Amino acid sequence: MANVTFPFPFPANMEILLPEIIIAVMAMVILLFDLFVSKEKKQISAWLAIATCIAAAITTVNVTGSESMMTFYGFFVQDYFAAFTKLLMLAATVFGIILSLDYMKEETNIGEYYALMLFALLGMMLMVSATNFITMYLGVELMALSVYVLVGYQRDVLRSSEAALKYFILGSLSSGMLLYGISFLYGTTGNFDFNLIGEALANSGDSARTATLVGMLFVLAGMAFKVSVAPFHMWTPDAYEGAPTPVTAFMSVGPKVAGFAILMRILVDAMPALEHDYVTVLLWMAVLSLAVGNIAAIAQRNIKRMMAYSTIGHVGFVLLGLIAASPEGYAAILIYMTIYLFMTMGTFAIIILMRRDGIQGELLDDFAGMSKVRPGYALAMGLMMFSLAGIPFLGGFWAKFAVIAAVIDAGHLYLGLAAIMFSAIGAFYYIRVVKYIYFDEERVAFNFSDNVLMKATVALTSIIIVVIGVYPDPVMDVCRMALAGLV
Amino acid sequence: MVPLSAYLVVAACLFSLGVIGLFLNRKNVITILMCIELMLLAVNINFVAFSHFLNDLAGQIFVFFVLTVAASEVAVGLAILVAFYRQRRSIDIEDINTLQG
Repeated sequence: MANVTFPFPFPANMEILLPEIIIAVMAMVILLFDLFVSKEKKQISAWLAIATCIAAAITTVNVTGSESMMTFYGFFVQDYFAAFTKLLMLAATVFGIILSLDYMKEETNIGEYYALMLFALLGMMLMVSATNFITMYLGVELMALSVYVLVGYQRDVLRSSEAALKYFILGSLSSGMLLYGISFLYGTTGNFDFNLIGEALANSGDSARTATLVGMLFVLAGMAFKVSVAPFHMWTPDAYEGAPTPVTAFMSVGPKVAGFAILMRILVDAMPALEHDYVTVLLWMAVLSLAVGNIAAIAQRNIKRMMAYSTIGHVGFVLLGLIAASPEGYAAILIYMTIYLFMTMGTFAIIILMRRDGIQGELLDDFAGMSKVRPGYALAMGLMMFSLAGIPFLGGFWAKFAVIAAVIDAGHLYLGLAAIMFSAIGAFYYIRVVKYIYFDEERVAFNFSDNVLMKATVALTSIIIVVIGVYPDPVMDVCRMALAGLV
Repeated sequence: MVPLSAYLVVAACLFSLGVIGLFLNRKNVITILMCIELMLLAVNINFVAFSHFLNDLAGQIFVFFVLTVAASEVAVGLAILVAFYRQRRSIDIEDINTLQG
């Protein structure tokens, strides 16, 4: 056994995996650390996790060159597109951890919680760097399995466990559908690699068209589940309501960014030959999402549930970018995701601040009269709601403007008009929250916690929303540049 | 020689059984876990059949990944189910009804 040679060459460019390696190692370190420290020191895991995210962000920037680099024999790619989406997901995780600091303080073994967040992040980062259905599937599952557990993390709260159970069942169904679709694409093309599948589909003409379409449909349906596109959105309101609020914030941004990033890669690399077909499918999904998200939200009294439907509506807007199937459309998706990240995190930060002794602070009624007690938070919440509704000139307006402009440019005028119409309907329930805050009488005593980091989060996200709203060009330029790796 | 289509039909039947079981089953959650497993294994039949007829090993390699992930998926699912049972003292589908709206 002395002269064992490695049976295959050591993969080149391994350094581009450094951010993922840092996160994987640190997640395990935090798991172990949690076992050996006393109860008072468990919060250190949170800071370790934040430090890990920052280190990973710095290495992500450092290892990314202007050319896309591959490692593991072409199974893993690092380019501007992957780097940009990874930075978004890292930011979402840091925000998620900051929001958890106070909220999860009472839970036992809190180190596991932060480790799970890092594992979910690792899965998302693998997803956006995947060039291949195998890597993608592993990333999707690592993310999904971690998030199921995060949703059910409050084991002594019935609705948390129930949300996790529902999310798990429908999530597993979607994984099964995704795999079934992949198996048909593999059967018709003989490959798992996105680019090779794309070539094979372009050359095959109409042979085995039915099987290809079945594969495409199942892959789209599976991914639609993960990003909560209607008609595959049934799990979203329950999971959002039942999950601990910081987890809700995390899962309404991170997995969505990852899911759309990988969808873009699949559609651009593997399915250009099927553009006509997938646009037809996505078109109906987008209209349904816009309708379900914006109309069903009106009936909600619980703000977490309302935000779940709001997410479905926003996902409908993001789909417009995929339907445009043009560089402008894809850039618009990145712009949307960037702005959505800040809007969502700011909103959930305020929702978390509402929790006080025994009151969850999740009902719309709980917000009544907030402006008289805490004008600062009230103003921030108002800004977030107006921004989510797409009122000019706040960040959310440019997000919607970008996708709608892209989809109209691509020749889908009626879809653009429908989106504007649904956006107007949706504005009703956002502005209703502002009405509660500013024009209703106080019903319960407010007692906000004074966590400096939470305040900073609220302030930072509000400022970013306003700044992007007034001066969106830099963000848009960065997003267009980030597309270099994709198209 | 069994043709490719025969394998695909068997896999499609098993997959549909899994999906139908998931939605029509009104009894208990363990059955749902079994249905999920059935779906994933049906997909594996697809992969192996395609892999054999395409003369390409990648499909069979994917099967190993799917099997591994399916095992961890069931582990997570059962853990969540145990947490749910401790709260609700029941694993009937009808009792998963706290969250509604």
